[in-house]
Amino acid sequence: MAEDTFLGDDFLRQLMSVGEVDLLVAIPTFNNAETVGQTIQAIEESYQQNFIRDRVVILNVDGGSTDKTPEIVCQSDGHRGTGRGITSLRTVHRVTSKYAESPSPAKALRTVVAAADLLRAKAGAVVSPNTVNLEASWIANLLRPAYRQDFDYVAPLYVRNKYQGLLARNLLYPMARAVFGRQIREVYSDEWAFSGRLAAECLAQNIWNDEAIRARPEAWMAITGIRSNMKCCQSFLGPKVAPAPGTGPDIVEAVRQTIGNLFRCLEIYQDDWLAIDGSQAVPTFGPDHEITSAPKPAGQEKVFDLFRSGVDGLKSVLPSILGPDTYTKIQDIASLEPAKFRFPMELWVTTLYEFAAAYHRTVIARDHIVQALVPIYRGSLYSFFLEHADSSPDQIEVDSEILCGEFERQKPYLVERWKAKS
Amino acid sequence: MAPYDENLWYKDAVIYQLHVRTFSDSDGDGIGDFRGLTTRLDYLQDLGINAIWLLPFYPSPLRDDGYDIADYTSVNPSYGNVEDFKTFLTEAHRRHIRVIIEMVMNHTSDQHPWFQEARSSRDNPKRDWYVWSDTDTRYQGVRIIFVDTEMSNWAWDTISKSYYWHRFFSHQPDLNFDNPAVREAMWEVMRFWLDMGVDGFRLDAVPYLVERDGTSCENLPETHKVIRDLRKRLDQAYPGKMLLAEANQWPTDVRAYFGDGDEFHMAFHFPLMPRMFMAVKLEDRKPIIEILEQTPQIPDSCQWCIFLRNHDELTLEMVTDIERDYMYDSFANDKAMRINVGIRRRLAPIMENDRRRVELLNGLLLSMPGTPIIYYGDEIGMGDNIYLGDRNGVRTPMQWTGGWNAGFSSADPERLNAPVISNPVYGYQSINVDSQRRSEHSLLNWTKSVIRTRNSFRVFSRGSIEFLKPINHRVLAYVRQLGEERVLVVNNLSSSAQAVELDLRSYKGYIPIEMFGRNLFPRIGDLPYLLTLAPYQFFWFRLRRI
Repeated sequence: MAEDTFLGDDFLRQLMSVGEVDLLVAIPTFNNAETVGQTIQAIEESYQQNFIRDRVVILNVDGGSTDKTPEIVCQSDGHRGTGRGITSLRTVHRVTSKYAESPSPAKALRTVVAAADLLRAKAGAVVSPNTVNLEASWIANLLRPAYRQDFDYVAPLYVRNKYQGLLARNLLYPMARAVFGRQIREVYSDEWAFSGRLAAECLAQNIWNDEAIRARPEAWMAITGIRSNMKCCQSFLGPKVAPAPGTGPDIVEAVRQTIGNLFRCLEIYQDDWLAIDGSQAVPTFGPDHEITSAPKPAGQEKVFDLFRSGVDGLKSVLPSILGPDTYTKIQDIASLEPAKFRFPMELWVTTLYEFAAAYHRTVIARDHIVQALVPIYRGSLYSFFLEHADSSPDQIEVDSEILCGEFERQKPYLVERWKAKS
Repeated sequence: MAPYDENLWYKDAVIYQLHVRTFSDSDGDGIGDFRGLTTRLDYLQDLGINAIWLLPFYPSPLRDDGYDIADYTSVNPSYGNVEDFKTFLTEAHRRHIRVIIEMVMNHTSDQHPWFQEARSSRDNPKRDWYVWSDTDTRYQGVRIIFVDTEMSNWAWDTISKSYYWHRFFSHQPDLNFDNPAVREAMWEVMRFWLDMGVDGFRLDAVPYLVERDGTSCENLPETHKVIRDLRKRLDQAYPGKMLLAEANQWPTDVRAYFGDGDEFHMAFHFPLMPRMFMAVKLEDRKPIIEILEQTPQIPDSCQWCIFLRNHDELTLEMVTDIERDYMYDSFANDKAMRINVGIRRRLAPIMENDRRRVELLNGLLLSMPGTPIIYYGDEIGMGDNIYLGDRNGVRTPMQWTGGWNAGFSSADPERLNAPVISNPVYGYQSINVDSQRRSEHSLLNWTKSVIRTRNSFRVFSRGSIEFLKPINHRVLAYVRQLGEERVLVVNNLSSSAQAVELDLRSYKGYIPIEMFGRNLFPRIGDLPYLLTLAPYQFFWFRLRRI
């Protein structure tokens, strides 16, 4: 029964007082005292500018901050209005819940969807206090499709420079698109929105403690929406500012969190995606995503060194994951001179699919499989640096679409490997 | 507690606003009159009100329902004569009901002899009693109040070939209060009625008395000086008489009309009214708390006048554009319900005839700080007729019985000054005093009960207010306090049942006694005080330490 009471009494009392709402915006926090004030301000502005008549709440789910983040969230800013002091029609509620003593994205999101369900929110959005350029319009752009146009899942679209979001552009997006058949770029995202229906659907599922889901539950929710034939769309937000160096997860952790999650989702929804062929565009609100130019990042050679040493170090592991042909090709490219290095697109896709199938078959510990992908991904990354050093954003866009096509072309191979007994 | 000061009677009043023309017709001519009104005083006494505010009853061409006065010292013959008024006044006083009359100082009718003289020639001695100009460009930028009918604040006088200033209808020329003769004349008019025994004046359109170039021509210091002089004379010659300001302004602007207790005794709190409706519609206390927290303190001898509905449109001048749009969409989706900057509807129709919401709003009206005004007919839930033009839809005959002309008049129905409401929902056959008197649980009897309760505790009329702010925003709770008398008021603004936890630790040990049923509730302790409320329910608790 303990599982039924993951919401604390104090939090329930707060929800009781808020009552039914139309809209909810959630801010998962952990020691975000410096930035959460700006986030709150952006949300309140968005509510006042776009949803003045609607019943709204700001929900903070905190993972044990020691810097008084929840207290800052709850602080009233008083009346920021004109001399007449009228700022909005309704009370803008602020509710905060300390869901655990340490951060857990799954616990945080589960608290959010539970609150959305209990408050009967028609739409909800999640935003990050780490997004330093969050604007009121972003929140409106996320909420509107879910609230006004009945969409169940709203993914963001950003302006990114060509070296930003490479894990998403070269792996997560094309693979998820090929597997699940929807062209949604950013299912792994800090900002997104959901309908009350999707919240209720996900809340009812007993997956929140799944290790592979825990780190990036938002992607599981997105994929749940896709596979439940709910209405999905994308909405343009604006430029995505990269987190300051050292503040985000490192590449190993990022791969573990996202790819481990994606592979697990493949397994959860295997009855649904095996028969999917090709992919469909989803409605997009506002401009499409955009790629901009950027100077070449430093330290590329180190990336190649890590690829080569990783392949060498994993020679006892990779053969159990990859097919012999694929493994040989990986070894071949690992022996190339750095300047002549290329990671062929076809090989990259085949490799990923074989990793996914190995994960499914659990040929070794699943976490080891995912971690073994890290050096391979570094090889792909280095190849991207070399190939696109002088590429225009348009060229990168074209190549990205070609890569997506390759993932879809090879999907039968994934299905074949997935279904193979051993 | 300070000793009771009879001169502050207006602070303890429950005012009933009525129009002689539409209240009761004694002679069967289809028009209400003072003799008819006098026969209804027992009803008003029984209702529990203790002051009547009469709409203008002066001779008038009635192009603005009497606010276009053609003679300040007489009674419109349709309503009777001065003797009838005196009789009414005497009978009202005999029942301990005070009488407040209208004094439209800002302007007269263009049919008033003063204006007729003033326009007759440019050198007439009365010429300077009004505001004239050779151009219509003076006082540029001053807002037009009746935007639906007037294009300018200037009107061309074809007789004297010049423009005259009018803030309201063009047939209502503004008096020139820079002229000492005008000020003296208005004081003489007031003396005429004060000598007769009236208890107070509701001064119409106060902010607009004086005009100055380069200003909004509203709330000018010179206007305040006019008021102060008037008040000084009043206090010296007629202590205990009251001045009530009609100033449709923000509280911070109206505050000036109280002066240092040397201008008006009372002023309407216009911005609060729409926000009470808004709060119930939004199911959120925010609009009410927000405006009351912005309301400045006023001198001890002064009081706000609060109301839900009156003879005018539900004015939306003192709300933001967003709030106005919301009010229109919520309460006046039919364009015919809108006029000027407001909504021409009565209380019950605005609340969609939801008895619970009507009671809640009346409960708010009678428990918040200020002197409440009840508009005639709202105590029985009368409806309106939005198709009668102007604001006449909320000025239909009082519904006394289910019989001939609703018991208002014995005239042929076609002869009535305004048709009675006769639709199946609000018609006089179903909504009338007679039938509600006979029903113990009628709105009328409920209203009587709640007024009686209010009148029994002076904390409602003179006490301070402290808002409790439970996290449940659908609940509006406050404590009224006067000396040792404390009342806790808890209102559920929402359409669903609510639970609320009130922080009443500062009243630890007190026993809440529900004031209508006199039932005891659990003693207040250290823990949050939990109450559950049905949709739109409200509680008044007397807090007693026993």
